[in-house]
Amino acid sequence: MSGLIYKNFRVNRSEIIFSLVTAGLCCITAILLSVFIGGADAIKNESDPSSVVLVYALLYYLAFMLPAMATSKLFEGDENKTCCAFAMSCPQGGKGHIEAKYYYLLILNLTILFMSFISDTITMGIFDGKVSVSLALGLIFCWRILLSAIEVPFVIRFGSQRGVAIKGAVIGFIFIFITIYFLFGDISWLIGTEDPIEALMEWLQSGDIIFWAGLFPFFAFVAFYVSCKISVKLFRKGAENYEQ
Amino acid sequence: MSSDKKLTVKRLVIFLVIAFLPFFIIIPVMWAVYGEPIYTIEREDAAVATYLLGVFGMMIPSAANLITRLVTKEGFRNSYLGAHFKGKTGYWAASVIVPLGYSVLGALAMWALYMGGMSFSDTFDPLGMQNTGLFLLQLAFSVIVFFPAFGEEWGWRGYMMPKLMELMPKPAAVIAGGVIWGLWHAPLTVAGHNFGVDYPGYPFVGIGRMCLMCTALNAFLTLITEKTKSIYPAAFCHSVNNNLGLEIIFSIFGTEKAQEKMTEMSDVGTMLPYLAVLGLVGIASFVLLVMDKDKKEAVRQKEAA
Repeated sequence: MSGLIYKNFRVNRSEIIFSLVTAGLCCITAILLSVFIGGADAIKNESDPSSVVLVYALLYYLAFMLPAMATSKLFEGDENKTCCAFAMSCPQGGKGHIEAKYYYLLILNLTILFMSFISDTITMGIFDGKVSVSLALGLIFCWRILLSAIEVPFVIRFGSQRGVAIKGAVIGFIFIFITIYFLFGDISWLIGTEDPIEALMEWLQSGDIIFWAGLFPFFAFVAFYVSCKISVKLFRKGAENYEQ
Repeated sequence: MSSDKKLTVKRLVIFLVIAFLPFFIIIPVMWAVYGEPIYTIEREDAAVATYLLGVFGMMIPSAANLITRLVTKEGFRNSYLGAHFKGKTGYWAASVIVPLGYSVLGALAMWALYMGGMSFSDTFDPLGMQNTGLFLLQLAFSVIVFFPAFGEEWGWRGYMMPKLMELMPKPAAVIAGGVIWGLWHAPLTVAGHNFGVDYPGYPFVGIGRMCLMCTALNAFLTLITEKTKSIYPAAFCHSVNNNLGLEIIFSIFGTEKAQEKMTEMSDVGTMLPYLAVLGLVGIASFVLLVMDKDKKEAVRQKEAA
C-alpha cells in the first residue's frame, strides 16, 4: 500500500506543490494580517471579535478549497484502460489502487490542517488569545473530506470531468438550500440585530445547531469511509468506460 | 554489553537529551520573565504563553526522534508511521473508547467520593441537545489536538519505548518509560501545570504523581502501539485524553453547583479519582503486555522443541 501511496505523491508532485504553496500563502497571509492590523491592541475595545474570526475562517477556507481544485488531477492520469488493467493486476488489486487515492487525499488534507493549525496558534498568540478559529478549522477540514467523499465515486464511475460537474452541482444545491432557508426559513435570530455576524455566532452556539454541528465531523468521516468502499466497487465498471 | 546494545543506549541518550533540554531551559526563563510560576498567573498574556508552550512543547519529542534518527544515521525503519488495520480494529477503537471511558468513570468516582450530599441529578445535567452537541464537538476537536499529541507520541512510544524494550524486559521498560515521561513534565509541574503550587509536598508530590499517571498511561499507550505497530492509535488516545479530561467532562455535563464545588476542591483532590481509574487501566494494560510476552515465549519454546 505504501508503494501505491508513494506513486500518487510522485505522479501528482506538481499538484502537491501547488496545494501546499497555496495553503502556505493563506497561512502566511493570516499571520501577516494579524501583525499589520496591530495584533491584540487592534481588537482590545471589541468585546466579541467575531468579524475578525470570520475573516480568518474565510482565509483558512481558501487554504483548504483552492488545493481542492487540483483533486480531479489525481484521477485524470489513471483514466485509461491500460493503467486500470495494470492497477487490477497488482497484488493489492483495484481495491489498493482506490484506497491509496483516499489515503492520498486524507494525508494532503491533514497536512493542510496541520499548517493552518500552526498558523492559527501563532495568530492566537499575536492576538493575546482573543482570536482563534481552531474549531472552525476542524469543521472546514470535515467539510473538505465530505466533498471528496461525494466527488470521488462519481469521478471513478463516470470520469473526472463529470465527477467535477457533479461536485459543482452538490455545492450549488447546498447554496440554493441556504438561499431558500434565508428567504423562507425561520431567521428570527437575524432580524432586528445590529451585528449580523454576532447574531450568527450566537445562533450557531444554540442547542439544536450545536448538536448537528457536533455530529457533522462524524458524519463526514463515515461518509469518507463509505465513499471509499463504494469507489472500490465502482472501479471495475468505471474502468470499462475509459478510453484506451 | 554487545555493540548493538551500546548503539541503542547511545541513540536513546541523544534522544533524551534533545527531548529534555528545551523545557529545562524555557520554563526557568519564562519564570524569570513573569516573576512567578507561569501556570499560576491569571493574566491573559501568560495564559496565551502557556498555551503556545503546550502546543509547541508537545512537539519536542517528535523533533528529538527526527533529529536522533538523522544524526545517528538510523534511518526510518521501525518508525511506526504506517497504519495497520487488519485484525487490529479493536485496538484502534480502544484508543478512543478507553480514554473516554476512564474520564467518564473518573467523573462518576469524583461525584461518589467528593460530592457528598449531592444527588446524581444535582451533580449532572440531563442529556440534552446542547451538552451532547458540545461533547461531540469537543470529541471532534481531538482531530486538531491530534497534532501536538502525535508530537509527543512519535517521540515517546515511537522511539523511546522500542529502545527501552530492546535494553530491558517489557515490564521494566514500561515502568522506566513512564517515569522518564513523567520527569519530562517536571519543569511544567514545578511551574504549576496540572496540580498548581499550593499542595503539601510541592513540587515533589506533584512530580511523583505525574510519574505515576504517566506510567499508568504509558502501559496502555505502549500496548496499543505494539499491537498495531502504528503510532496513530496512541496519538488518538493522547489527544482524547488531553481534550476530554475529567474537568472538561464536568464542565459539559456538570451542573453549575457541581462545578462550583469542583473549583473549591484542590487540583490534587480532583486528580485522585482520575488517577485511580487510570491506574486500573494501566494495570490491565500491563498484564496484557506481559501476557503477550508469555504467549510469544511459549510459541518460541514449542517451535524449538
